[in-house]
Amino acid sequence: MTSIARPMPRSIKAYVRTVDAVNHAVGSVVMYLALVMMALLLFGSLTRYVFNVPFVWIIEMAQFMMAAYYILGGGYSMQIDAHVRMDVLYERWRPKTRAFMDSITAFFMVFYLSVMVYGGWSSSAYSLKYNQTNYSAWAPPMAPIKIIMTVGIALMLLQAISIFFKDIAKFTGREIA
Amino acid sequence: MSYEAIAVLMFSTFMLLLLTGQRVFGAIGFVAAAFALALWGEGAIEMPFASTITLLNWYPMLTLPMFIYMGYMLSESGIASDLYRMFHVWTGPMRGGLAVGTILLMVAISAMNGLSVAGMAIGATIAMPELLKRGYDKIMVTGVIQAGSTLGIMIPPSVVLVLYGMIARQPVGQLWLAGVVPGLLLATLFILYIVIRCHFQPHLGPPLPLEERQQITWSEKLRLLRAGILPLLIIFSMTGLFVMGVTSMVESSAVGALAATLVAFFNGRITAQVMKDTLRKSLAVSAMFMWIILAALAFGAVFDGLGAVNAIEVLFLEKWGLEPWQVLVLMQLSYIVMGTFLDDTAMLIIVAPLYVPLVIALGFNPIWYGILYTITCQIAYVTPPFGYNLFLMRAMAPKEVTLIDIYKSIIPFVLIMLVGLALVIIFPQIALWLPNQVYGS
Repeated sequence: MTSIARPMPRSIKAYVRTVDAVNHAVGSVVMYLALVMMALLLFGSLTRYVFNVPFVWIIEMAQFMMAAYYILGGGYSMQIDAHVRMDVLYERWRPKTRAFMDSITAFFMVFYLSVMVYGGWSSSAYSLKYNQTNYSAWAPPMAPIKIIMTVGIALMLLQAISIFFKDIAKFTGREIA
Repeated sequence: MSYEAIAVLMFSTFMLLLLTGQRVFGAIGFVAAAFALALWGEGAIEMPFASTITLLNWYPMLTLPMFIYMGYMLSESGIASDLYRMFHVWTGPMRGGLAVGTILLMVAISAMNGLSVAGMAIGATIAMPELLKRGYDKIMVTGVIQAGSTLGIMIPPSVVLVLYGMIARQPVGQLWLAGVVPGLLLATLFILYIVIRCHFQPHLGPPLPLEERQQITWSEKLRLLRAGILPLLIIFSMTGLFVMGVTSMVESSAVGALAATLVAFFNGRITAQVMKDTLRKSLAVSAMFMWIILAALAFGAVFDGLGAVNAIEVLFLEKWGLEPWQVLVLMQLSYIVMGTFLDDTAMLIIVAPLYVPLVIALGFNPIWYGILYTITCQIAYVTPPFGYNLFLMRAMAPKEVTLIDIYKSIIPFVLIMLVGLALVIIFPQIALWLPNQVYGS
């Protein structure tokens, strides 16, 4: 290549850097939830079986944590490319071809995540407005977990867009880091 | 447009999007969201999000991150190399003995973990170099490790059966118990094949040479037996406590995760870095699985809304005049063909809304069908051109094993798995006997 590649615009670079840093930080914290869930479940079985004191909230609390775990961790897992693809053709393409194809099909992921964010937003608003509680013995309010999930999905959406920019940079051969 | 046509359109769009290599969850989620909006308009915009609540309230899902974490911990713990050494010494003297020992090692790993990746990694890095060094045929060895590692998804705990249970709305406890006998049956068939083949062709799996055997003292043999105790303790603390009713299924997965961590700790394998890497990988893999399930649930909800399953049932039974078992065999055949092209998660997305309701409508047992599904997944894992295990094997195996070797190696084992599949179809009791004993029929 003889032409000197123009770098990506500064604003896009800043966006990619910020979103990647935020998702990396969120992932680095959220990953410890696995240990918290484990401890919670062990505590629950101990109190129930040994001391015969069942806590109704433990199971649901663990479930809420799991939802936070995988949804808040979604952006980070996308960043390190942990999501499976069907690589029948993909695997044979050159890295630039992959980046080109990804930058087009990114639309599908962005569309899905946008619908998810919108759904999460309106569902959270509903829960807040009507003080919706989960249909269970403990009956915790649903709004907090819905808001957490909506934030997590929004972070994934931002990450998907960041990856889109990186793919464009890759197949046009421009600097983004 | 008729509902059948919409259903066909949904599936073909999904397939097409998969071919572009976009992330599976993105492809499936897009189809779900786009069709929901196109079919029912703005009122359906919350539909894809609604599946997060379904997933949230599904208790057994908690086992998933626990088992993923446990899998990574187990490969760090050093249990596997001790276990391999034990089987090496005890089964090595017979023809093909090291290969038999490898299958037994895989059974033990499978009983401690719910994914096939752990067995694959352990087999390719610990067992394989040893077997090759001892003059075992490389095609034989490759096949043994690939086939053996697929037992991970059949012998409880099984993550694949957790996912099946979620989407087919079946109790995971019963599904796990149903996997015990078929899993052991497959292991037995693998071992029989190795023993018989090596009996007639001893050069494929020579016994350990006499000098090497004489170097191993009885005290060492007995000391190595102890290596088998730790896994037994882990298995007991998980499956045992669960079957005895002390812990619930989800709690046992947490017990297993704790046990694996403790073993790794006492073997001196845990450092801050190991812990961080394990947690990081567990998060990434859990998120990957969960997002596929999330998208698949949304897809399934749209598909349910179409009522297309009913139309297909009418087509098979009334228009084509097929017997229920013929439909079943047809389904399984189509599924094996699909399995060569798709991975198990993508297959689940198809099986869930389409096959499971049909199986129930035809009067078959959905627990039993879960086992048929799992065997088919096992076959899909190892069949070219696309299979998780094929790719992993190529990445992990020593350089002298070529892709052609890997492809050739699985042929006899796929045939054995097909025999196993046929046996479970003909004798459903192989799968259903144990859950019936425990839960009552």
